[in-house]
Amino acid sequence: MGQIIISVGREFGSGGRVIAEALAKRFDIPIYDRHLILEIAEKTGLAPEEIEKYNENPKHRLFSRSVRGYSNSIEDNIAEMQFKFIEDKAASGESFVVVGRCSETKLRKYEGLVSLFILGDADEKVKRVMEVYDLSEEKAKDLIDKKDRKRKRYHNYHCSGHWGDSRLYDLSINSSRLGIDRTVDMLEKYIRARMSE
Amino acid sequence: MTAQIFAVIIFVAMFIMIVLDKIERHYVTLGSGVLTIAVVFGICQHSWTAIWNTLAIKNFATAEFWYATSESESKGINWATIIFIAGMMIMVEGMAKAGFFRWLCMKIAFLVKCRTIPVFITFMIMSAVLSMFIDSITVIMFLAAVTIELAQLLRFNPVPMILSEIFCANLGGSATMCGDPPNIIVGTSMGYSFFDFLSNTGVAAGISLVFSVVFFYFAFRKELVSDNAEKIDISKLPKPSEAITNKKDFIVSSLIFGLAVVLLVTHSITHLTVATIGLAIAVITIIAAGKSTPEIMKKVDYKTVVFFIGLFIVVSGLEETGILELIAQFIEKISGGNAMAMIAIILWVSAIASAFVDNIPFAATMVPVIQSLAASTGVSLHTLAWTLSIGTDIGGSATPIGASANVVGTSVAAKNGHPVSWGRYCKKLAPATVMVLAISTVYIFVRYI
Repeated sequence: MGQIIISVGREFGSGGRVIAEALAKRFDIPIYDRHLILEIAEKTGLAPEEIEKYNENPKHRLFSRSVRGYSNSIEDNIAEMQFKFIEDKAASGESFVVVGRCSETKLRKYEGLVSLFILGDADEKVKRVMEVYDLSEEKAKDLIDKKDRKRKRYHNYHCSGHWGDSRLYDLSINSSRLGIDRTVDMLEKYIRARMSE
Repeated sequence: MTAQIFAVIIFVAMFIMIVLDKIERHYVTLGSGVLTIAVVFGICQHSWTAIWNTLAIKNFATAEFWYATSESESKGINWATIIFIAGMMIMVEGMAKAGFFRWLCMKIAFLVKCRTIPVFITFMIMSAVLSMFIDSITVIMFLAAVTIELAQLLRFNPVPMILSEIFCANLGGSATMCGDPPNIIVGTSMGYSFFDFLSNTGVAAGISLVFSVVFFYFAFRKELVSDNAEKIDISKLPKPSEAITNKKDFIVSSLIFGLAVVLLVTHSITHLTVATIGLAIAVITIIAAGKSTPEIMKKVDYKTVVFFIGLFIVVSGLEETGILELIAQFIEKISGGNAMAMIAIILWVSAIASAFVDNIPFAATMVPVIQSLAASTGVSLHTLAWTLSIGTDIGGSATPIGASANVVGTSVAAKNGHPVSWGRYCKKLAPATVMVLAISTVYIFVRYI
């Protein structure tokens, strides 16, 4: 099998992470999401909670400045570490699944990249977030809004393309249509078709 | 009136764009500069003279630009600043390539036997001294990297040391004409020499450095205790000589640096301007580099050079339309013509502004303001110039975004697993900044009033 890198962008509550985990299992390859944080924590000596605090967060423009490629923003530095990490993994020839981290853009040059974006119907996402996080409907809606706004700002700050814009990904799919399991089945077929090319 | 309104709009928009950091700052200033020429000078003022004065290309043809026997003031694009900065950038890249900075840092660490507290103190002093001649970004880039390396080997927390180095780099930069961009702007705009700065802002920086070293020692001594109680075997550490990538290049770049220092220190005697020195150093570095020239030139930060060109045009827009004179009149009014109040306002307002926004545009804007203030109130221009330099240079240390060295230092720390939050940074460096500003206020009052 040649190198395969599955990049999964996702709306909050769409089940994107669960789909990414299922794909990693079906192709028997590692997944970098939370694990990415742990690996960077180990490498730098930072506490995972510290990295989590700044993970996939946009920087505060008023409190940040960049000079010759250096930035005082902790968010920027954590992001750069993660980009470097996935870039190194990709360059080493390893196959893996990566969730978010602008991977569809950062790893664009790798032939084995399959970039996916998982979205969902608003009511389905709210239902899912209410279940997973044990929240009221109102709080779930607020959380989805907040998380997606953050992801969008984070993505659009680090990349030239827009977060969720279908032109940026090989495939954008609404997980509410087929449900999580059948979406995974369909994506597996698509990826295998791509691999056989 | 319309020209004034547009000049202010362009300036304010430029400043906001720089702060927001959405578009690279050199595009922002260059775009704003083009707008100033087209809208303010062209459409509103129909003044070719203003455009011609601002571009200041005729300056190159004057002997005074290269060889100045008397103090002369410059207007429009400050080409002397630009040539000098570009020349020094080329020299610094040559030095970095040869391994000079890393060697120096390792050498000093070895001289004090790699013991944490002596390294801490000597690195602070080295940071200040190097920044007197070289841009603080380069100084911190290397010093912070070596500090991290030593911290890993000797097992201490590098953050206090990096923060102290940043502070001392900004302090050292305030001591000389070439130490910090605001000083180069002030110096070249008013025709000051290296020695003028050294004997005025340099004295304030020297006194402040003593207080700062003591302050940081007491502020950080508990955090700097090494985890490793055993005696350090320095023979196991990387040798300073390993930092040298090429012995010949190393000797040549050290000699060029020595020449630059001599030329700068003696330029009031030789009458060579900083533009001549910058150009000469650049040419010598390029000749000496030979085949490596493209590699060195590629690393030169052209963006900063473009940033300066755009910035000077926008500030000229404010100057030519009389806005800066209005600001000067306002300062005169609120200070009631009192020299002490005027100095205190310039020092502290410059410092507070520089803590949050780039101090280069601020200094470039304030130079014509203090010239106008001195002319109308009779307060010595020299005093106001030193006040402005100290305020802008020192104020930048207070926050992580106040000066370039702060950004680079905290970024190097973060990349190596030591993120520095605003709270962590400001807790010790903001009080240190206030302390130095207070010392400087007293110094200026005692010496000049």
